[in-house]
Amino acid sequence: MNPFHTQIKKSLTNPVLQAALDANAEKRILARKTAFTSLPEPLEIMRQRAHKVRSETIKNLDSYLEQFIIKVEENGIIVHRAADAEEARQIVLDIAKNSTQRRRERGEKIKKFRVNPRRQRHAEQSAPLLIAKSKTMVSEEIGLNEALEGAGIEAVETDLGEYIVQLRGEPPSHIITPAVHLRRQEVGETFHEKLGIPLTEDIPTMTDAARAALRQTFLDAYIGLSGVNFGVAESGSLCIVTNEGNGRMVTTLPKTHIALMGMERLVPTFDDLDLMLALLPRSATGQKITVYTQLIHGPRRDDEIDGPDERHLIILDNGRSTLRGTPLNDSLMCIRCGSCINACPIFRELGGHAYVGDRGQKTTYPGPIGSVVSPGLFGQAEFGHLAQASTLCGACKDACPVDIDLPEMLLRIRAGEIVSHKPSTVKDAGVGLPHSVRWGLRLFTWAASKTWRFRLAQRLAAAFSRILSPRADYLKMPAFTGWGYSKDFSRPAIRPFRERFKSNHEVTENTEKTMGESNTIPATLQDQSLISNIQSPTSKFENELSSLGGNFTRCTADTLSNVILILLAERGITEIMAWEQEHLPEGLLESLQEQGIRIEHTPHPELRAGLTGSLAAVAETGTLVQTSGAGSPQSTSLLPDIHIAVLRENTIYENLPQVLKLREVRDASSVALISGPSRTADIEMTLTIGVHGPGEVHVFCI
Amino acid sequence: MTQTVQLFVTCLIDTLEPQIGEAVVRVLERAGVNVEFPQDQTCCGQPAFNAGLRDDARKMAQHTIEAFEKTTGPIVIPSGSCAAMLRHGYPELFTDDPVWLPRAEALALRTFEFTEFLVDELGITNVGAHYPGEITYHPSCHLLRGLGVDHQPRALLDNIGGAQFNELPNAEDCCGFGGVFSVEHPEISAEMLKRKINNTADSGADTVVVCDTGCLLHINGGLHRQREKPNVKHIAEILDLGKR
Repeated sequence: MNPFHTQIKKSLTNPVLQAALDANAEKRILARKTAFTSLPEPLEIMRQRAHKVRSETIKNLDSYLEQFIIKVEENGIIVHRAADAEEARQIVLDIAKNSTQRRRERGEKIKKFRVNPRRQRHAEQSAPLLIAKSKTMVSEEIGLNEALEGAGIEAVETDLGEYIVQLRGEPPSHIITPAVHLRRQEVGETFHEKLGIPLTEDIPTMTDAARAALRQTFLDAYIGLSGVNFGVAESGSLCIVTNEGNGRMVTTLPKTHIALMGMERLVPTFDDLDLMLALLPRSATGQKITVYTQLIHGPRRDDEIDGPDERHLIILDNGRSTLRGTPLNDSLMCIRCGSCINACPIFRELGGHAYVGDRGQKTTYPGPIGSVVSPGLFGQAEFGHLAQASTLCGACKDACPVDIDLPEMLLRIRAGEIVSHKPSTVKDAGVGLPHSVRWGLRLFTWAASKTWRFRLAQRLAAAFSRILSPRADYLKMPAFTGWGYSKDFSRPAIRPFRERFKSNHEVTENTEKTMGESNTIPATLQDQSLISNIQSPTSKFENELSSLGGNFTRCTADTLSNVILILLAERGITEIMAWEQEHLPEGLLESLQEQGIRIEHTPHPELRAGLTGSLAAVAETGTLVQTSGAGSPQSTSLLPDIHIAVLRENTIYENLPQVLKLREVRDASSVALISGPSRTADIEMTLTIGVHGPGEVHVFCI
Repeated sequence: MTQTVQLFVTCLIDTLEPQIGEAVVRVLERAGVNVEFPQDQTCCGQPAFNAGLRDDARKMAQHTIEAFEKTTGPIVIPSGSCAAMLRHGYPELFTDDPVWLPRAEALALRTFEFTEFLVDELGITNVGAHYPGEITYHPSCHLLRGLGVDHQPRALLDNIGGAQFNELPNAEDCCGFGGVFSVEHPEISAEMLKRKINNTADSGADTVVVCDTGCLLHINGGLHRQREKPNVKHIAEILDLGKR
């Protein structure tokens, strides 16, 4: 039995996995459908536009990449191109080595959190170099963690799902929800064993444990490593979407940030980015927008007090460029939302770990897209058989937000019509097909390509089946035939249709028309999008923010300090971190100080509340827009448990495109779009508020 | 003027379930259509195409194209997946073939699935059928997603006198047939079939209607193995009821 088949049997007989996968499929598909009802335009129109954008991008990838790289470098980010996994790993190791060296030359301690002298005790310890990672599938693809471990570097996954599987020594089983194969019980046991917390099935308790364990990792890490969801060619922006806040942590707190991206993950313009941002979170997790959408334009500027001193971008090829122009070209259009995986009935039975190569080797990408890109990128001989594990039902294509014809490409892989960068040892068509099926089909083709042979075969089948099953209408086949494993086979008819038609046709009575009047088909498409839009931007923002679990309070410039004081008093807080006065309404900090609140401008992890202003807000999604700059550090809205944001009503915009056009958004070294409190659904798809970022978001609107 | 159509009955109906073909002919003739059956037809080549054996599939496609090129008028196919094969699969097979591609495309333009032909081409949604029972409908994947045909069979079923229609839970889930898939990956196929059979039972219907004989053979075969009554019918068989 080949390794894939072994894995299939293992998955199907694992009741824990089956329960987890069933729950995932049902929740995800429903969430996705619900989320699409809030699209600004009909889904199909947006989907086809997205298809066109991605298709154009892949077609002209070289010029977009060139434009993108020039912009990224202008922004002060160091760009590396990696031809393959080996090169990419080496680049990361070199960056780590150089950073360590420079740091030693400067006489810095390994561990750091420079912001407050009271917390220097951590800095006194020395430990191996620590890398805090947010979720990146490219890092899985290049086997980075093993390479780092081999070099004596500790790499900690900080996405909750990734953290769970890392603790368990497993690879992720899904590109969006890495721990989808587990139920709360297994996670509880893992945390009990590895983190020493009491055995629990309470998901918020587990989330808190992960938060506590990882907080120090963020503070101690010298390097933060992230993926990139989209690179914007016209501006060189790196767009990263996350929910938990770990993505912001690893791109903000460590002194060095390394971003890993596949070379195909580009969009030409901000307008295109807006389109992708409307589709990606809805498809992936059923959210209108992720809690944190970041736009990164460069390292910390001289007048900023947080953000990494160095940012590196590693652009990975690893076979992608050889797929361009081949029958698998369109797989490069994928935006890695995972909705084809959630929609796939095969994934629902198998889970991600079952998708293995011919020698049992794991692949990073499971499900329909994985069965296309694994053979495409990592070898047809090694992974081509995965393409056979599909009924071609098309649920994946239907679910794809950029309308990639996955069944078509699975068929092309089966036909051997791909050009893989690795030499393929399978030359024949029908890669992965068992010999019995292959020769059975060849025999059938031989018989059916001549009419007389086909008729003869029909007669033989009818006669032979009557020897096997003289009485019943069904044949009982043995399990090894495949069909006989779970079903009986309809017995061929003695007189096939072609004979019946010949003898009946001339005499078929042509009765008078008995048809009823033809009915018009009821219109099934309802205009869903143009529901009257009479809400003001402010109340829309309020509603959206509230639905995300944030708090909205309307006040005046005069009452602002009072309402903030009431909140702080309720929470028993007397010391907060805050942006500099110039970014806040006049006199606010002074009024707070007069009432006994101590203000720190340097972000500090032990302060429970952070007070910020906002550049703007997006009504449609309940999103706050914050740009980094002098006196407005990113950490103030990231480190504390409670984020208090002051928003001016006249800066609330209707939608994201309007905000993405703002000059400040284009110019800032880092932009955070914040939509409600930090959240995760990595354990049993159960929404839990407050992971790494603030668990409370209070917006005071003046 | 009476319209003449060419019936491509499909190899499964021809060989295994010829009574479906007879029902198709009767329903079409009652709709005022003259039905012809080109005797050279065999199989469209979908099994080989889906297995990746494109050379074999091309042989079958050429055989089919030649069989139908001798005729004129719409080609009606009582199967969503075979119709999708002619419409989308053949042009894919001959992408790089300047001789056969136009012939494949010409054939694709003449091709209609049975319910699509009745509703979209003839404008008929009521064939005057009568069935006093509870029915449900399983939308076959290639019909639903490959051809985008869904409201047509549903409209036809809506107008069956005496019948109560029950929606099938998770109707759009694949039944696990997938042609060679059901032979190659019998374990996964069996699990998917189990779900489909449970859903058909939950629908409370006594008859499950499909437009694809592949799904019919698969679900009925599973029911028979479980010693249940095979209750899946092709839509033509239901539309043929009560009006002989």
